[in-house]
Amino acid sequence: MPYEPTPSHNPRPSEGEARGAMQLYLPIAELSLNLFLLLGMGSAIGFISGLFGVGGGFLLTPLLIFVGIPAPVAVATSSVHLAASSVTSTLAYWRRNALDLKLGVVLTAGGLVGTLLGVIFFNQMRKLGHLDLVITISYVTLLMSVGSLMFVESAGAALDRHRGRPPKPATTGGVHWASRFPLRVHFERSKMTVSLIPLILLGAAIGFVGTVLGIGGGFLVVPALIYLFRVPTSVVVGTSLFQILVTMCAATFFHASVTQSVDIVLGLTLVVGGVIGAQFGTRAGQALKGEQFRLLLALLILIVGVRFASDLVIRPPEPYSITLQELER
Amino acid sequence: MIRLGALLVAIIAACVSARGEDLIVALSTRDVAITSNYTGAEITVFGLIERDARAVARPGGYDIVAHVRGPVGEVVVQRKGRFGPIWLTENRSRYLSVPLFFSVLSSRPIKEITDETLRARLKLGLEYYLPPIPPGKEEAEEHDFRAALLRLRARDDALSVNEKGIDFIRPNLFSAHVRLPAKAPPGLYVVNLTLLAGGVELKSAQAGFVVRKAGFDAFVSSSARYEPMWYGFFAVLIAISLGYLANLVFRRD
Repeated sequence: MPYEPTPSHNPRPSEGEARGAMQLYLPIAELSLNLFLLLGMGSAIGFISGLFGVGGGFLLTPLLIFVGIPAPVAVATSSVHLAASSVTSTLAYWRRNALDLKLGVVLTAGGLVGTLLGVIFFNQMRKLGHLDLVITISYVTLLMSVGSLMFVESAGAALDRHRGRPPKPATTGGVHWASRFPLRVHFERSKMTVSLIPLILLGAAIGFVGTVLGIGGGFLVVPALIYLFRVPTSVVVGTSLFQILVTMCAATFFHASVTQSVDIVLGLTLVVGGVIGAQFGTRAGQALKGEQFRLLLALLILIVGVRFASDLVIRPPEPYSITLQELER
Repeated sequence: MIRLGALLVAIIAACVSARGEDLIVALSTRDVAITSNYTGAEITVFGLIERDARAVARPGGYDIVAHVRGPVGEVVVQRKGRFGPIWLTENRSRYLSVPLFFSVLSSRPIKEITDETLRARLKLGLEYYLPPIPPGKEEAEEHDFRAALLRLRARDDALSVNEKGIDFIRPNLFSAHVRLPAKAPPGLYVVNLTLLAGGVELKSAQAGFVVRKAGFDAFVSSSARYEPMWYGFFAVLIAISLGYLANLVFRRD
């Protein structure tokens, strides 16, 4: 039986000139995108990360995939953006002395191990062709659970304040579960004595997840430090940023040397946009109250989670998709 | 004996026709450089049909079929299916060494130019883009996969059929335009032209061009590929210094 395809006619004459000179060719992603679109995306993410003090990787990576960047390049290149933006903010917290360096170093030690494992896992999944599925399912699980937890917590706090109840006192220090393990260490800045084991495990988990999903993991570290370890809020964000800075530098390096999917041109463009956006975001953020701020962030996380979940649940308009692999030249 | 005779006649016919016409091809460029503002390229193919004294009259005129093939790669087609509440990839079909860019241009519909036997022998047309379905594969399903592959590649402008793509400027002079999208992969592209008249193949000719990254983009992608450690180190360095620079420029304390 002869094979009869439907021929497609697309004789489109020169449209190249019409698209203008603002297209930027991305050498690793191997496609060209509008320069202002990239700068705009970078500054939008920068604005949000300045506003909420998060890296914004959980928004950046999906956005890059959405505009057509191959998923591996999107994930790997996000780490460049996150490394750069966390340098800026870590320095700001460092100068305000709002950073527990000792705690940061411990978290980072675990983070490096997690990052390396993450890159290896990432590469294996890409070879097996399951990377997109892994990324989608992880995003849904992570964003939906963290988003709902934050939403419930911050909505509760906002209601309490509305009814005139005093906010629950945040307990710091004291003996709790994390000090029952061996290898106990005292952290002066964080006013706690805890075992190194849960801290290193936390760092490793964040490093692993961050590398596979192209996120810094700030929205995971911050609640974990506050709720699980009762680290004072004053040093949590700075410490988390320090951990993100080191992990993302490592992720950039490992991605570049193992998966070879870091696009420097894309990264640079995003960073330039991000730096500008972050300045406006920080200013806007100072006008927000604590629980308003957490409520907004929770909503944002939930929206991205729902967007990913809809990909899984809604009947796809096109059930087929293709992936290309150039042969070695 | 009859078959041998037929073969002999065919050989003689081929020799005679081969001497009658000659096909000369020229491309507007042999080298497409991908630079930072690359948005794709357009290549013009010029062809001249040269007739010598032995060429017989061709009352029906000439026909040209051109195939443009890009570098080959592996294409995997996935299909999503329903598993409980969610949609996941349920099946996939893998195609090895498929040209990642393919375009068929002809002076009129190929089916009008020549019959199925010659089309199959010369592999003219989109039907022969993919290798034949290997035995043992579920045919109906394989057809769906192949149709999806063609549809999706056509949507990305990586696959096209243009049955009016060859313009005859004079009865023996023609031109064609090949539009390369920005996503077309770097590598060697081959243009194969077949000259036909009255449903018979007269001559074929070939020309090629190279799409390659140039300048800064070539430097970036070759460093990423051949010096991954240095590339990674440099990427980290850039990230840190830009972050530091932003801190200096925007510090407010």
